[in-house]
Amino acid sequence: MKALLNNSFLDLLRTQTVAGRQLRELLLLTVFLVLIWGVTALLSPRFLSLDNLSDILVQAAPLGFVVLGQMLVIVVRGLDLSVASIMATAAVLSIGANDSIVSIVILALGVGFVVGAVNGYLVAYRGVTPFLATLATMIVLQGIRFAYTKGAPGGSLPETFRWLATGDIAGIPVSLIILAVVAVAIYWLLMRSKFGYQIRLFGDNPQSAYMSGVPVRKIQMIVFVISGVLAALAGLFLVGYVGIVDNWTGQGYALDSIAAAVIGGASLRGGKGSVAGVLLATLILVSLFNIVVILGLSVEFQLVIKGTLIILAAAVYLSKSRD
Amino acid sequence: MISIDQGRSFKATLKTWARATRFESLHWVIIGLILMVFALGSIGSERFATLANIFNVQDQLVVLAIIALAQTLVILSGGIDLSFAGMLGLLCVFFAGFNAQDTQTLALAIAATLALGAFLGGINGVITAYVGVHPFIVTLGTSTVLTGLALLHSNQPSGSVALFFEDVVYARIAGVPCGFIFVICLYALTAFMLWRSNFGIRLYAIGNNEVAAQISGVPVKQTKVLVYAVSGLLAALAAIYMVGRFGVGDPRAGVGFDLRSITPVIVGGTLLAGGFGGVLGTALAVILLSLLANALNLMNVSSFYQWIVEGLIIICAVSVLVGRSKK
Repeated sequence: MKALLNNSFLDLLRTQTVAGRQLRELLLLTVFLVLIWGVTALLSPRFLSLDNLSDILVQAAPLGFVVLGQMLVIVVRGLDLSVASIMATAAVLSIGANDSIVSIVILALGVGFVVGAVNGYLVAYRGVTPFLATLATMIVLQGIRFAYTKGAPGGSLPETFRWLATGDIAGIPVSLIILAVVAVAIYWLLMRSKFGYQIRLFGDNPQSAYMSGVPVRKIQMIVFVISGVLAALAGLFLVGYVGIVDNWTGQGYALDSIAAAVIGGASLRGGKGSVAGVLLATLILVSLFNIVVILGLSVEFQLVIKGTLIILAAAVYLSKSRD
Repeated sequence: MISIDQGRSFKATLKTWARATRFESLHWVIIGLILMVFALGSIGSERFATLANIFNVQDQLVVLAIIALAQTLVILSGGIDLSFAGMLGLLCVFFAGFNAQDTQTLALAIAATLALGAFLGGINGVITAYVGVHPFIVTLGTSTVLTGLALLHSNQPSGSVALFFEDVVYARIAGVPCGFIFVICLYALTAFMLWRSNFGIRLYAIGNNEVAAQISGVPVKQTKVLVYAVSGLLAALAAIYMVGRFGVGDPRAGVGFDLRSITPVIVGGTLLAGGFGGVLGTALAVILLSLLANALNLMNVSSFYQWIVEGLIIICAVSVLVGRSKK
């Protein structure tokens, strides 16, 4: 506490408080990111060009939205396997049915909301394991999506949409501005609000949270709804970035978002999560993909690196949480 | 720990049998559902209730049955194995990469593939048990790595296997596919092992309460490594069978099996938290799901709707079983 009061950064870094630990984790992630960027820049000067760096950031935005929601779910000891399915279903249904951007956004977020609510209901009120509840909704959504499109999604993307996902305001990509707004909101929600205090307490110890009068069912429900809505938003951005609507939009995002959340310091045992950490981890994962392409390695290397990184990160955090 | 009833009455014999197979009332429900699907299929398509079609279903369920068996063992121990996608792909290209044309190479290839499967599974187990990382993360990570390695090895289906081996895999005894008979033996063996062996008893103990098991002197870590190794071994068996069926090693052969393997385990009544359930439920659930898929196919229901049905089955199953998970 003394260190906190002195407000000395170095002191804080050494303390055994939660804040000190989180700061050390962030530092570790930043060092790793700088390291891989540095090595790549040495091997290929093209990597550090402004175009390429902004490309990495824009690519990272959709995963960033998903990861923020996923992290909240993981904080309450859950898992959301349905995010990728929500991304594709929200995008396919809303763009297939509409032309105007407002109705597309409302419809897509509505889909995310409903699916999140179903997940939340199953988990909070029916006592289903999050893993199974979201696995089931993932499969059902997949069926609904394909049955609706009969395998070939239609509809066209409004121009404003492409601009939202790929354009920029004064050199700063629009998607990044929106991601920053959402990240700040989630940070406030998790670290500064009563709701955030409740979900962290629930993640730490569900029983004591219940005893202390935390509305445990309601908060689980809300967290899954947030995750669903953010996934739907991510789906729209990804479709806008890629330029076409596909039934498999966002494939792999479910596991990637869990990986990024874990690398970013969220623990599957609940109660731990950091907005800055998971966003850094997202950047690391997306950078790896870019690096593999820039260095001309075969794309499969990305899988090998990613898998190793996931296990290593989890192992590192474990050994640290023990002391 | 478990004694055999010495009673001579029929009821007592039934009880013994129920205990050995861990039979429970839920299994009647699954059997009832199987009969319902059977009736539905017979009404919906005249090709469904033919002997030829039933043998076909038996052929088709072999891989899912083996993988679901592996998943059952891991889940019983309180873990989860999501590495089958990468595992099957790598083991398939590895086995087919031997291009075995004579018996000697074939025996070597089979032995090497089984060893590699057990070794890779063992790695999952070591990281889970000794480093203490959540099995979800471990197996997710290894699956990603193994998928990468399989695709680096060969980007498209490659390799081959002797024609006589394919004949063995396709062989039928009085119409019944050899693969199906093999699976039945495998399930019986595993059920017996879960019932009588130290390993089986320890598996339930760890799944039920790891701390209690540790205190009671159960070698928790070694048992965990062993169960993941067995899971890898079974994945190798499935991979060998797949190569025998396709005649070629497909690096993408395992896609989807990581999550598909969980459905029959859960529908069969095994708790995801571990320690409760058994292989009989998984076997019945595999039969139910395979028959359902076959019936829907013959009734020309597109696979899109089959996904919806599969998801709803999971929701129904877990909602029904929810009372048991709140132990």
